[in-house]
Formats: sequence, structure tokens, C-alpha cells
Amino acid sequence: MKVSKWSERLFGTPLFEPLVSFSYLFPLLYLVIFLIIPVLAMLLIAFSYNGHPSLHWFSEILGTTDYIQIPPAGSLVDKTIMPGTGETLYVIRGVDFGIVLNSLIVGAIVTFLASILGTMFAFLMARYDFRGKNFFRIALFIPLLVTPFVNAYVIKSMFSEYGFINYFLYPLLGFRLKLDGLAGVALAQAITYYPIVYLNAYASFINIDPTLEEQAENLGSRGFHLFRTVTFPLALPGIAAGATLVFIFSLEDLAAPIVFHGDPLAKKLMSYEIFSKFLFGTGERSPLIAALSIIMLILAVLAFLGIRKYVSLRQYAMISKGGRWKPRVAKPRKWQALVIYLIMLPLLIFTILPQLGVIHLAFTQEHTVIGNVTGVPGEVTGVVLTNAEFQQGTVPLQGFFQGQLVAGKGKIGPINGSLDGFFQGTAYVKGNKVTIEGKISDARFQGETKKYGFVVGYVNGQVKGTGVITDEGLNITAKITAAISNLPVGKQQGFTLNYIRQMLGNPDVRKYIINSLVYSLIAVVLIILLSITSSYATGRFKGALTPVLESIVIIPIAVPGIVVAMGYFYFFHQIFPGTPFDPTNLKGFNPAYVLILAYSIRRLPFAARSVYAGLQQVHVSLEEASMNLGASRWKTITSILLPMISLNVFGGAMLSFVYAMSETSVGITLGSLNMDKAPITAFMKDVMMSAAGSVNIAAALGVLLITVQITSIVIVNVITKQRYSFIGLT
Amino acid sequence: MVEVRLDNIVKTFGETVALKGISLHIKDGELFTLLGPSGCGKSTTLRIIAGLDFPDSGKIWFDKEEVTYLSSSERGAVLVFQNYALWPHMSVFDNVAYGLKIKKLPKDEIEKKVKWALELVKLTGFEDRYPTQLSGGQQQRVAIARALVVEPRILLLDEPLSNLDAKLRLEMRSEIRRIQRELGITVLYVTHDQEEAMAISDRVAVMNVGTVEQVGTPREIYENPRTEFVASFMGKTNVIPARVIERDGDKVVVEFEHFKLEGLTYTGDSDRVVIVIRPERISLKPVENGISLTGKVDLIEYYGFFTEVIGLFGETRIIARTMADRETSGLRPQGDVTFYVSRDDIIVLPKQL
Repeated sequence: MKVSKWSERLFGTPLFEPLVSFSYLFPLLYLVIFLIIPVLAMLLIAFSYNGHPSLHWFSEILGTTDYIQIPPAGSLVDKTIMPGTGETLYVIRGVDFGIVLNSLIVGAIVTFLASILGTMFAFLMARYDFRGKNFFRIALFIPLLVTPFVNAYVIKSMFSEYGFINYFLYPLLGFRLKLDGLAGVALAQAITYYPIVYLNAYASFINIDPTLEEQAENLGSRGFHLFRTVTFPLALPGIAAGATLVFIFSLEDLAAPIVFHGDPLAKKLMSYEIFSKFLFGTGERSPLIAALSIIMLILAVLAFLGIRKYVSLRQYAMISKGGRWKPRVAKPRKWQALVIYLIMLPLLIFTILPQLGVIHLAFTQEHTVIGNVTGVPGEVTGVVLTNAEFQQGTVPLQGFFQGQLVAGKGKIGPINGSLDGFFQGTAYVKGNKVTIEGKISDARFQGETKKYGFVVGYVNGQVKGTGVITDEGLNITAKITAAISNLPVGKQQGFTLNYIRQMLGNPDVRKYIINSLVYSLIAVVLIILLSITSSYATGRFKGALTPVLESIVIIPIAVPGIVVAMGYFYFFHQIFPGTPFDPTNLKGFNPAYVLILAYSIRRLPFAARSVYAGLQQVHVSLEEASMNLGASRWKTITSILLPMISLNVFGGAMLSFVYAMSETSVGITLGSLNMDKAPITAFMKDVMMSAAGSVNIAAALGVLLITVQITSIVIVNVITKQRYSFIGLT
Repeated sequence: MVEVRLDNIVKTFGETVALKGISLHIKDGELFTLLGPSGCGKSTTLRIIAGLDFPDSGKIWFDKEEVTYLSSSERGAVLVFQNYALWPHMSVFDNVAYGLKIKKLPKDEIEKKVKWALELVKLTGFEDRYPTQLSGGQQQRVAIARALVVEPRILLLDEPLSNLDAKLRLEMRSEIRRIQRELGITVLYVTHDQEEAMAISDRVAVMNVGTVEQVGTPREIYENPRTEFVASFMGKTNVIPARVIERDGDKVVVEFEHFKLEGLTYTGDSDRVVIVIRPERISLKPVENGISLTGKVDLIEYYGFFTEVIGLFGETRIIARTMADRETSGLRPQGDVTFYVSRDDIIVLPKQL
């Protein structure tokens, strides 16, 4: 063996060994070349103007009202009257502070909401034992499932004019409420990301040595005081770590803005602004966008470094890590039980609705039914609301008709429901009695049929009836016999496997699945190699490169995906022009390469943490004993180390795979540039942005991702007999 | 089997100097012990000999071969780890056979050798067990078998008894000695327990903060400690700070409290010295060529087969140990007592600590 001074200094071992050097240099060079340099390439572009170093683009951003707008434009809540029904609609969209500030404000609000929600649920689950806890446990698992776009879409539908929320709200409040724009984005993100805080906070609460709280109690602290002075401060590093991740995720999120893109305000976010440049073909990108990417990167990295520093300064929960303790679990008192069942439970159900909605969408088919009740007695009772002046005799009558359809028979079977729509016809008035005749057109019908269940649709038909004039107007009870034709022209919902079948059977959709699977699997192979080498180098040697490698492996968490995409765009365009790596190469660009690279880097931290944790569990003497008995380093790694950490490697690989499959930012930008080779998420984005396919197919893909995730988690749990580890910063 | 020579080994970890240039000569076939308190550098020395760490400077020789930077796997200096380092995913057989498989020995030879090694450590029949199914003592035996089976050039034992209970410790101690004698191999043994070191070793090196204080047979080290540290580390002893007030060649007069002790031998330069007297060398009756010290009885501690009398001489406490009950029967706490020591049993050493 050769003694080498620089090997000693860099790698922490005086013997130059190719395997050790490889463990350091492979992950290090990989990350430098495919993460650091692309980002730096962008830096060069952002900081130059006309070939000179300059802050031009940054001052342009900071000086343009498009990017920073104080005071903000628009109003938080708009009140409108809905056409047709005349109902009051409040639309909450948020105000426009400009693209940069909007991102920061949305990020802050999302972080705040997610932290409150996550901490509340974590504390409840960590400290209380109550009836239905198992339901909570299972339900809290549901929001963890990642379904890009579709869950934001469900949230959007829930908060639309006729959405699920207004179904309850309207009868209660008498007006309708709609969330759109930045407010919609914020809500969708908060619901999507709060489980990250929940998991980190839960781990923190569980890891608090109970004697610390017992001592405080022993000294007279109780209830909220105990929580405020001991429990919460001890858990704060974990909560803060989760909150920081949420902030970074919110900053880089594209799914919610894309889903809400119908409202121009939702597009006024940094992530969407950068993304939108990818929408228009290929070609040069403005340095302004590079500068914007840099601003986003700086914000994310600052948040990341801040929390790393803060958490490393306050490793309270770790101080007394001896043995396993029985966590402190209490039965809730009466008022606490009320809070649990009246506030927490509805909140929890609310947060799992998006995922349930995704599943509902994937398995529910709506199709038009044209029924016919002609010749069969149907009966509508209702009122015609009109401002018409009634004179005796025959008068023309126009008004709004609201009524109940009580029964009907025909092709679609017995039917019940309400309809409202426009009436036009004549009235014959005698005394306060009135007879009307006319037609209703495009009346909105909601009801149930025995055969198809819930039905909505539009009704056109003839109306004949009699009524009584009251002070409020014309109150008519209209009896209709065989007068409405084509009832209802509506939509019928029912269980279907069509979308799943289409997803798996339609070669157009299937190709996206196969692409994603192939890219993710190859990325996972790279990730395993990267995590094992980097963990081996940092966990077993203490050279000058050790801290460098430790940081660089975790850094991908702090680099927004859209920044990676933008960096890759510049990098591969500059370095490999005209190759399949070059995104501007219209014909020959193959997203496979850049996507695999991006996946392997973006999802590396998940596996690297897991493998490193496993390595820490294996006492180094086990490997030394092997080397000491004559085994080479390679033999030692393969026969001693790897078998002992195989479960960690496996768990980390699964986690990376799951999140590679649902990777969004790079997939929908660079991936979209050649749809033949695009991943699932690129297709889902197209569905959301245009009418490329039905939302139900996207939902079916969401269900596929959910299935992959649940299967992976179950397999990992069964094989490793360990709790599912999740994203954390510490 | 080899003889091992360490030549001026220096090792630093960051700012800390773990080994300040130590030199040792371990003879072929002897059981050599590194003895010292934790942090003295004995384990580092062991790891450097095993090839698990490498010195900053200095050289290591196995016979005539320099092995300083030879990797651990090529060195044949096999270490039995303090925690045994048995691989939990391998059976006893596979653990022991590991080194042989690496040497690519034929299967039947591996089986023969493993059988031999397990016999040697009295674990025949345990081949298919897994480490977690074994007691601490059995795990240790597996670790020793695993090391011995590859016929190491030198066997290194790192605090091998520290994880065992007291009874097992004695048993394993003689077992290790038996195996070493049987095979005639060179063994380097590391411990912080002086009694263990004395009982098992051919020779002992006492180490302290990265240096070797003294090398010698257990008897030499016990009876003729060359430094204050060695004297105080080797069992309970009286170490009395004192001053040299007169010198005549190597004969000196030494003073502590108001006692002047004449006719002692001292060759050091410093006038600040310590007087080292083993408790069992103090008699309560006059002795030949002796000195006497009269003071008060502070405490009498009865240990069964011996009794300790702690006398107070001014501010200084001196312990005397006697096996004769009759001698102590007349003593009372606070009563007068006179300690007698032969001048041959008094060691004067430079003050060190």
C-alpha cells in the first residue's frame, strides 16, 4: 500500500485505497457536476448583463411592480352576484404584492397553517389516548400520500361555487364562498404539506424524555403552562425543521399554482413565473428568469441553513437518550374530548378529503343520460318568481321557476329532485287564481334516480299549471302532466374501472407510466450507489472532505426543483448543445437522461439519511475485525457491512423510488419538452392546463401513485419491522 | 510467531497527542501486556500494531519486516476486540471460518481448522448458533477462536475481560494464559487492571499519557517501580511527597513533615521527591536496617485475611498492611503507633505528578 499525505488529509486515511477514494469522489463529483455546476451556470447568466458582471437583472426584478408591488393590488375578498341564480358569492383570492413577495407571503402563511395543524395533531397523537385514536392514526397517514395536481384539483373543486364546502355552507350562511388565486394555492399547499410538520413534531414529542416533564410537574407545572415551558420548547427544533421544509416546498411548488392557473393571480408566484417560460417551446431563456431562480434558491437555502444551525444548536430531545421509555399518554378530560371530537376530527376529515376525492374521481364515471318521461305522469310543484304586473286576463309571463320534481317514470326510472330555471309563457288570471302555460329552458336539475343515483343536469320542457297570486308575487303550484320532454338531460355518476383500464390499457397513457417507472428505477440504482458511497466515506473516515460531502449530500433538499430544472436547462444547453441532453434540441432532446439525473439528485437525501443511520448502528469494529482477519475492504463492505445495513438501504431505496415517481418540477418542465419521453407528472400537468385528457385519468394516475406508495410502505414496514421513516432535516 | 518492535511511534488525533514517541520490543512467544489508565494510549498502540490506525511517524517491525503502513488485512496481527465484534448475521462456524475462507482454503481444511479452534476454546457443538444466542463468555471464546484459527503472527487482545463478570473474568484469564502457552504464540494484551496484568503477563509495559513509563516483568514493576506513576498505579501504595535535604553520592536524607529519613538511595536530580512504601512492607515490629516513624492511629480496617492500619504522621496518612492479628490487637484509634520499614523497601523517586 502506498502512504499518501493527501489521502490522509482529504480522506482521513494515510493509505491510498481506490475504494475509499471512490466513496468520496463519486458522490462528490456527481453532485458537483449535476447540481452545483448547473446552479452556478445559472448564477453566471443571472449576474451578467451585456457580457459584464452586473446586478442588472436583480435590480430589474426588485424595481418592477410585477415582482414587488407595495401597496398590494386587488382586494382580499370580492363579492359578486352569481348570474342566473342571483346568489351572493364571496371569492377569496388574496392580494397581489408582486411575484417575489407573493411567494414569500404564501410560503409564510402555508408554513404557519401547516405548523399549527401538524403540531396540534402530533401533540394529540403523542400525548393522548382516546376512543377512535386508531382511526386518527390511519387517517393521518392518508394526507401523506402524494398525488401531484389531483389533490390540489380536488381542493379547488371543494371550494368552488357549487363545491362540497358550499353544499354545507350555503344553506347555513345563505351565501356561497369560493377560494381562488393565491388563497386557493395557500390552502391547497397547507393541506398537502402539514403532514411533514406532523411527522417531525410527532417524533419530537415522542423523543422527549418523560422524566423532563415529570420533573416539571413535580415542581408544580401543569396543563398549558407545562406545555408552554417544557414540552413545546423541547419539541420546537423538530417542529421548526418540519416547518422549514414546508416553507421550501411551498416556495417551489408548481402543482397548486398550475391547478389554480385559471385565476391570473395564482400565476403570480416565483415558481409559476419560472415554469411559464418552459411553456413556450424551446429557445433562449431570459437572464431575468435565471435571476429569479437565484432569488428563489437563496431564499430556500437561507431557510435551510438557518434551520440546520438552529437545530444543531438545540439538540435538546437528544440529551438523555438512554433506553426506551414509556411515552406519557393521558386520557383526555371532558373539555379536551370535546376539542378532539368537535374540532380535531372534522379538521382531520377535511384534510383527508383531497386524497379521498382523488380516489373518488378515479373510480367515478359521469355520463350524460337522456331520459324521456313523455307520456308518464311527472309532477313538479314550485314557484315562479316574477316582477310582472298582473292584470285580469291573459298576460305574458317571464320569471324564475323554482320547484320540486316529485315523481316520474320513463327510461331513467323514478326520479326525485329539485329544479330551477327560467320560465317563459303566458298566464291567465282570474281573481287571485292564475293558470300558466309555457316552457322552462335549461333549468338546472339536481336529484336522484333509483337506477343511477345522484343526477344533475338541465331540463327543457313544457309547463302547465295553476297557482295563487300572493303579495310576494306569483306563487304557483304547477301540475305538469306529460309535459316535460327529455328529462333530465343530465349527468349520471357511477362506479367505474374505465379510467383505471384506460390508464393501463391506453398506450398513450401507459407510456408515461413506463417512462416514470424506468427513470425512477434507474435513478434509484444511482441513489443506492451514491448513498452507500457517501455514507461510507462520511461515516467511516474523517478527512477534510468529510464535512464537505456531508453537506453536499443533504443540499438537494434546499434546492427547489424548478431551480434544478432551470439550471439543467442552461447547463446542458451550453455544455452539450445538439445532443439528447440539450433541451433546446427540438428533435433530439431525450428527457430520460436529465430526468434520471434530476431524480437521483433530488431524491438522494431520503436514501442517504437512511443508509447513514444504518451505518451508524453498525459498530466499526465489526468491519475492522474483518479487515484484520485478512479481508480486503471490498470483501468487508460486501460481506459484513452491506448485509448488516441492507434493510436501511432497502428502506431508503423504496422511499426514493416513491418520491421519484411523483417528482413534479423537473418532470413537467424539462420532461414536457418531449412528450414521448415524458413522465407521469408531465401528462398530469397537461391535463390540468388544457383539455389534453380527462381529470379522471389524472386521478387514476394519482391512485396508481397512491398504490405504489402504500405498497412500498407496507413492504418496508413488513421487511424492516421499522416505522416508516420520513422527511426530516436533522 | 514474530517478535514485534515499535520504534519511536508518534500518533496525534487532531490536537491531541495520543502517543508521544513510544518504543517497545515484544519478544517472540511472550505474553506482553500494555497496562495503563484509560486514555494513556494503550489501545491506540494496539490498533497501530493491528494496522487499524497508522502512526504519524515511527516504525513498526515484525521480525525483520517493516509493517508500519501495511494494511490490516495483510499484516496478520489479529485483534480480539473489546466488544468481540462478532458478526451477528453469521453463525459461530461462519464467524470462525471467515478468515480461512478469505485465504481460500479448501472446504474440508476449513472445517478441520474451525473444529480445532472451537475445541481449543471449548465450544465444540456451538457451530450453528448465532452470536446473540451465546453468553458473554462464549462470545469471547468465539472471538478468540476466530482470531486463532488464522494462525496470527501476533494475537492482540483489547481489554478482553472487561465485559465479563468477576467470576468469569478469572476463568477466562487462566484460559487465555493456557491457550497462549499451548500454542506458544506472541500475545499483546491490553488492560487497565494491574492485577490482571500481573497475573497473566510475561512482561508488562506501563503506559501513561502517551508514553511508556516502564517495561519489565510483573515482579520488577511491582517491586522496583521506576516512576511515581508506576508505583502508584501498581496497587494500593503509600506515595509520600518529600524533599531531599542532604546528598552523599546516591545516599540521601529525605524529609517529609518533621520526619527525616536517612540512608535512603536516590539517583535522581530533582530535590522534590516521593517516598514509595508498599503497605505490606511496613511492620509494626522493629526490622533490620529499618527506619521507624511514630504517629497516631487514624483508622484500623479489618479485611479478613489482613488488616490495614492507617497511621497519621503529622498531616500525612500512611497505610500499613499486616496479616498478623496479634500485632494490631494493642492498637486503638488516636493511640500511638510506630511503623518500621527496612531501608531496602523504601523507594525514593522524583516527584512526577
